[in-house]
Amino acid sequence: MENKETIIEFKNISMQFPGVLANDNVSFDIKKGEVFALVGENGAGKSTLMNILYGINTPTSGEVIIGGKKVEKYSPSEAISRGIGMVHQHFMLVPSFTVAQNICLSHEPRKSKIFYDLKGAEAATEKLVQEYGLVVDPKAKVESISVGLQQRVEILKTLYRGADVLILDEPTAVLTPQETEELFNVIRRIVKEKDMTVIIITHKLYEVMAISDRVGVMRQGKLVGVNETKDVNEKILASMMVGREVLLDEIERFGEPGETKIEVEDLVVTDNRGIIACNGINLKVREGEILGIAAIEGNGQSELLEAITGMRKPVSGTIFLNNHDTTDMDPGQIRELGLSHIPEDRMTTGVSLQSDITTNLVIGKERTPHFSKWGIALKKSTIHRYAEDLFQRFDMRGAGVDTVVGSLSGGNMQKVVVARELSFDAPILIVAQPTRGVDVGAMEFIHKCIVDKRNDGGAVLLVSADLDEVFRLSDRIITIYEGKVTGEFKAGEISKMDISYYMTGDRSNEEGGTN
Amino acid sequence: MKTLQNNKKYIISLIISIAIALLIGAILMAVSGFSPIEGYGAMIDGAIGSPRLLGNTIEKSMELCLLGLATAIGAKGGLFNVGGEGQLFVGALFSTMIGLWLSDLPTFLVIIIAVIVSIVTGGIYALIPALLKTKLNVDEVITTIMLNTVAIKVCTYFVNGPWNSPLKSISQGTDYIDKSIVFSKIIQGSNLSTSFFIGTVVTVFMWFLMKKTTVGLEINVTGENKRFSFFSGLKANKLMVTSMIISGAICGLVGMMLIYGYQGHMTQSASNEYYFDGMLVAMIMNYNPIGIIIMSFFFGFMATGATMMDMQVGISVQLYDVIFSIIIFLMAAQTGIMVWLENRKTQKKAKQLAEEKAKGLVEETAGKEAE
Ligand SMILES: Nc1ncnc2c1ncn2[C@@H]1O[C@H](COP(=O)(O)OP(=O)(O)OP(=O)(O)O)[C@@H](O)[C@H]1O
Ligand SMILES: [Mg+2]
Repeated sequence: MENKETIIEFKNISMQFPGVLANDNVSFDIKKGEVFALVGENGAGKSTLMNILYGINTPTSGEVIIGGKKVEKYSPSEAISRGIGMVHQHFMLVPSFTVAQNICLSHEPRKSKIFYDLKGAEAATEKLVQEYGLVVDPKAKVESISVGLQQRVEILKTLYRGADVLILDEPTAVLTPQETEELFNVIRRIVKEKDMTVIIITHKLYEVMAISDRVGVMRQGKLVGVNETKDVNEKILASMMVGREVLLDEIERFGEPGETKIEVEDLVVTDNRGIIACNGINLKVREGEILGIAAIEGNGQSELLEAITGMRKPVSGTIFLNNHDTTDMDPGQIRELGLSHIPEDRMTTGVSLQSDITTNLVIGKERTPHFSKWGIALKKSTIHRYAEDLFQRFDMRGAGVDTVVGSLSGGNMQKVVVARELSFDAPILIVAQPTRGVDVGAMEFIHKCIVDKRNDGGAVLLVSADLDEVFRLSDRIITIYEGKVTGEFKAGEISKMDISYYMTGDRSNEEGGTN
Repeated sequence: MKTLQNNKKYIISLIISIAIALLIGAILMAVSGFSPIEGYGAMIDGAIGSPRLLGNTIEKSMELCLLGLATAIGAKGGLFNVGGEGQLFVGALFSTMIGLWLSDLPTFLVIIIAVIVSIVTGGIYALIPALLKTKLNVDEVITTIMLNTVAIKVCTYFVNGPWNSPLKSISQGTDYIDKSIVFSKIIQGSNLSTSFFIGTVVTVFMWFLMKKTTVGLEINVTGENKRFSFFSGLKANKLMVTSMIISGAICGLVGMMLIYGYQGHMTQSASNEYYFDGMLVAMIMNYNPIGIIIMSFFFGFMATGATMMDMQVGISVQLYDVIFSIIIFLMAAQTGIMVWLENRKTQKKAKQLAEEKAKGLVEETAGKEAE
């Protein structure tokens, strides 16, 4: 390890945004052929630092040295020409283009220098697929493939441009455990066979342990330290990150489940393409109970939640919320009955990126007497104070409540959504991927909020790609496979290992009759 | 809602744009053999040189301001209303006819009805594209442009056909409305009438609506992210339609104010693309109400001044359009200007790099992924 040559050097990097010092005098090296993990709290400055390496940000001071040569001009094209490739926290693909078109975007092969050579693009993609063993269909439209595959496309895109340093910003946040495992295999392969260097950002510390050679920890813009992964463990990393010990222990639960608050009967829902996603789902959630749904991405759980919350019209079946038939209601009517909803996709659904944090926190409550006179004139100072308070309580990191949500780090954006939805005081809470992209400290806090809701008599329906989260929070768990419920378990009744059989449909034949 | 920092930069780049535009204007004058000092002098003189001219300037500014606010409210709701001109014509035509048909009623009643009719007809005319957008997802830019043509053609037909004045002296357009129901002048001989007070009320109302109310906030959020708005329980479609109706209503009202303020009767040229000037003001100011109010006065000043410059010094009034277009062009490039402001330092470095490049030290790469 020690004798490896240095490929990237960060020298005293500082990055000042309006009101936020995102990177504060950061210095360290990346060595050729290593997997370097970068961890830290939300807003610690990880993405910012990687954006500097990729040339999106120009540091306020300090320098980056790539392959022994100082970076003079910060631009992605410059970074790409130096062999840097980056897959962003939020993908940057063109949904209506094919895989091959996306991969070759802006470096398209041309016929006679002018005409776009689609065949050439597909051939080039095919060649990359062969070379790196990252299997995707070059002709498939990006919008029709799973998130895991989209990520492969992003990786292939960087490889196509000749990257030998690959930056992955929270690649596993959107992946299933299986997909994560596949991604790690890919990483191991490209590092070993192609002598590539990989920098990976993640909030899941066991992943750091599983994949990285070295790990750097950031806190509030500063580099806390760089260690050989073998010299640390998850606990040490967590306390380095947060600056205190993080105890992910049992959350206290009390109370007995009461009357049924959510009841779904024979629900059939189609997805965006009109294909049946939920095929006759039945479920019940009572007050004082958390029902967790364990399912692999794309088995209808997203559509199920959208139907329950009114975002999507079901084809058939009925939905009762709080003893009302809400099957044909829109989200506004449903929210009035006492539902709040943490959506799966914060960027497109959960926030208005161009609006400020205050607006994003107060929306949905703005007409209450507390926040406006006669439901018309906004009480600006009350609203401001309210936003400040949530900002503090949820420990959001950013320049302040007047900045646009779009400037927040991924995890802090998630905190805005969670803070707003949990403060509705609604008896029903629908939660999808509540801690996607949030750090361990914040995860602990959000988990506690969700269980508190349950303890207060709330009915909670939870979907998460993170099985640990489902197991930790749920009182009951159901598995869904291909739009059907394949099993139902009390917490503690089944192991994570066994439940995956139900999630992959292995047992669905035996159980099919009963469900 | 931008951060403070961004606002500051925006204002700086705006001022730079205006300065550059005025400079180019001066160069154009010089090239065509006029003295820029004399030219701009005449412009200032023409805008505020006499009470009458000052009145015209204020009236023009108010028009721009109202039409700019009309554009802004639609845009905030996510609908780009290019059809204000048509809505203005509709409002102008119907309010004129109210004045002619109801001339027996008491004065104030006629005016109130005329105001209401112009608001309602303008609003309804904007409702059509709004519904097409929200129900059928038909692009509003295209429908509003087409509806402009329809409105102007239909108005032209009516004012020169069925509702044409029988009086020989005014063969173009309808009869004049009765002098008693015309807004009285604030400054004699100018275009500035008591309609200015209506304009002021509407302006304050719009500022309040957009900045201080729940509906304004909701319209804003809907325009930013419709899915989020729907998700949050807002009536996203209704809010979009509302914003468009308000936009059309203001345009209709401006039509009424043109007729009752100084034109006196409806003609096929009641508005000479006034709406588009207002729209551009709104775009330059990023749909910010306060910004629109201030910028309207600047352009109102220039527009009136340019007319006089033409008459007195002989510099074509088109110069105003040139300056207007240059500012728009520069503002469209304002992101570029802002980046430039930020990166003047790195520019130098880039130059060095370019030299290296020339020596073949740096590989060529396409730089399209700068986003
Ligand atoms: N364009 C910007 N303008 C203003 N502030 C910004 C901008 N980009 C990032 N920031 C701020 O810089 C800080 C660091 O953000 P960054 O995205 O690097 O965090 P992160 O470590 O990647 O966090 P996460 O784990 O949540 O993704 C945050 O406080 C964020 O609000
Ligand atoms: Mg990040």
